[in-house]
Amino acid sequence: MTLVMRLSRPLRSRTLGMLIVRRLLLVPLVLFAVVTIVFFAMRLIPGSPATTLGVAGTEGLSSKQIQENIDALTKTLGLDRPLLEQFGTYLLAVSRLDLGYSFFGSNSVVSLLKNTLPATIELVFTAMIIAVILGVVTGVVAAMRRGKALDSIILAFATVSFSLPWFALGVLGIIVFSVQLGWLPVLGRLPTSLGYQPTTNFVLLDAILQNRPDLVLPWIEHLILPALTLAISMAGFITRMVRASVLEVLGDDFIRTARMKGLDEWHIMSGHVLRNSSLPVVTVLGLQFGSLLGGSVITETVFSYPGVGNLLVSAVNQHDYLLVQGAVFAVALLFILTNVVVDILYYVLDPRLRKA
Amino acid sequence: MATSPEQSSSGADGSSAAREPILSVRDLRVGFRTRSGVVPAVDGVDLDLYAGEVLAIVGESGSGKSAMSMSLVGLNRGPRTMISGTAHFRGIELISASERQLRSVRGKHIAVVFQDALAALNPLHRIGKQVAEMITLHQKVSGRRAKDMAVQMLGDVGISNPRHNAEAYPHQFSGGMRQRAMTAIALANDPTVLIADEPTTALDVTIQAQILDLLKSLQRELGTAVVIVTHDLGVVADIADRVAVMYSGRIVEIGTTEQVLYAPKHPYTRGLLASTPGVTGPIPASLPTIPGSPPMGAERPDGCSFAPRCAFVLRECATTPILASHDPSDSGHQDACWLGELTIPVPDESRSTL
Repeated sequence: MTLVMRLSRPLRSRTLGMLIVRRLLLVPLVLFAVVTIVFFAMRLIPGSPATTLGVAGTEGLSSKQIQENIDALTKTLGLDRPLLEQFGTYLLAVSRLDLGYSFFGSNSVVSLLKNTLPATIELVFTAMIIAVILGVVTGVVAAMRRGKALDSIILAFATVSFSLPWFALGVLGIIVFSVQLGWLPVLGRLPTSLGYQPTTNFVLLDAILQNRPDLVLPWIEHLILPALTLAISMAGFITRMVRASVLEVLGDDFIRTARMKGLDEWHIMSGHVLRNSSLPVVTVLGLQFGSLLGGSVITETVFSYPGVGNLLVSAVNQHDYLLVQGAVFAVALLFILTNVVVDILYYVLDPRLRKA
Repeated sequence: MATSPEQSSSGADGSSAAREPILSVRDLRVGFRTRSGVVPAVDGVDLDLYAGEVLAIVGESGSGKSAMSMSLVGLNRGPRTMISGTAHFRGIELISASERQLRSVRGKHIAVVFQDALAALNPLHRIGKQVAEMITLHQKVSGRRAKDMAVQMLGDVGISNPRHNAEAYPHQFSGGMRQRAMTAIALANDPTVLIADEPTTALDVTIQAQILDLLKSLQRELGTAVVIVTHDLGVVADIADRVAVMYSGRIVEIGTTEQVLYAPKHPYTRGLLASTPGVTGPIPASLPTIPGSPPMGAERPDGCSFAPRCAFVLRECATTPILASHDPSDSGHQDACWLGELTIPVPDESRSTL
């Protein structure tokens, strides 16, 4: 693992190209680890897809016939082969970017992901944007009002929201805004009545490509509640980080220099504090994106939102090995690529990392 | 006690005689609130600064010299700082001035060179931008013009290839260059007063000399009045016209550099000088020291706070001595000691026994 350690060690003065190459070299290694873990973890779960499939629609058959049915399926799916051989076969297929087929229905894993991944990306990035805006604004305000009532209120909200579980928030949101107030739709991504035919499956992009401005409002209405649900706990986290970071930077000597120059508090905050205090926040943001992806699985289930998370939950329930492996593979890839972007952002923000 | 104008005819160019002080500090007190009460840092300082002079404030750590100079521009204001007294500057009373008023003074009329330039410069901004920011803030010039002026200023403080180096970030500069850049920022608007807070402490000796030379030549050129805060008597001898020696939050002696360094009156000043090794002459086996250590803020004794360490303690020392001249022929050289007040001659060998 020394290679992994070398590639992932803290950034030093390097060119941006080098940085990206180093991070991208990590991708196959991380993906290999993810695929391995998921492959074996799935097979540790009691039950098998052959059983799930073989039992379905078998009323009236004897248990012997059912068992024969299951055995035949096991053979067809290749699950009778030695585990390591199955693993080897799968790895080979993955290396050709062939993620296989779902055991249930004849869809390829790739096509299923094509349908669901854009929905998850929309959800997660919307949540991220909301969380960053909310977290930075409240964090800065709290820091500027340190020790005052407003600071305490913001901190209290941040702590509570940070500790609230996603499913509780989601259900609460549905009850209040959809059921009681009736402001927002309860479930799904878009009403079927709109007759949406995906091109890229990114609704906003398709709305432009297909010239369907009528898609936008329903899309936002469906997205806002799950995105807020996801965003709120992350925002609480960001609030606390930003507050701490701003307070630390405010104590730095160069802020005293800014004050000596005659800058007012607003210009000190916008010109000197914000960028400096964003550095630690940006670092954590990439890692927090992971927990956001985890939260999206729960949120999508609560809202019946047709994303990868939803797909993953049903796939796990059905022991749909290849689909689970493929979905986790895709989510891991999304996580890694986001972190590459975060690294680049960090590099752009802090000149000390650049080569002289 | 105030130093009256005619007594300070000691500017290097002799031109600061018979002038009104540009900055006049009276009964300045600075205290820091802590859990265990208010710790006084500055305990009633009176001080005048004249145009174009270099005044050194000397003292050891905790003597209140930095707290005093920072409170002049309100840079240590905060919920835990209590500042009282007055400091008159160009018709503004700096101590009670609003932040808004102070902002019009800071950077434009009074600027500060800080000690640790690496920490004092914003790590994410280019050097040129940090100088230009100072210019655009107080002068009505375009951004492009400000940048040109910043480059000019960087050249003036001795940064080579200033147009190129203006694009550098602080971490790409050496310590000396950073301190030069810091100086360029401070002098960018040609301030009336420059406060240099230990400007050479973080630098090695050769660079120290360069920075002092730079300060001295720019000060002469621009006619800036400089308050240089230092614990280094070498710096004082090098650059200062007048010296104020601070001990435990008070000025214990003030006078021209010659007077204070060559004819010190206060036992503390004498002890301080005696404990400074000379560059020439035999190397002493051990340097004389002043026994004990300065009282911590909260533990200051009543009366003269140097008394517990002083070799010449009198009964009178239980009462605080006032800063006054004890030489009828020269009222510019003042000290706060009962020995002078009671005209008790101090034996010459005292310097070695301290």
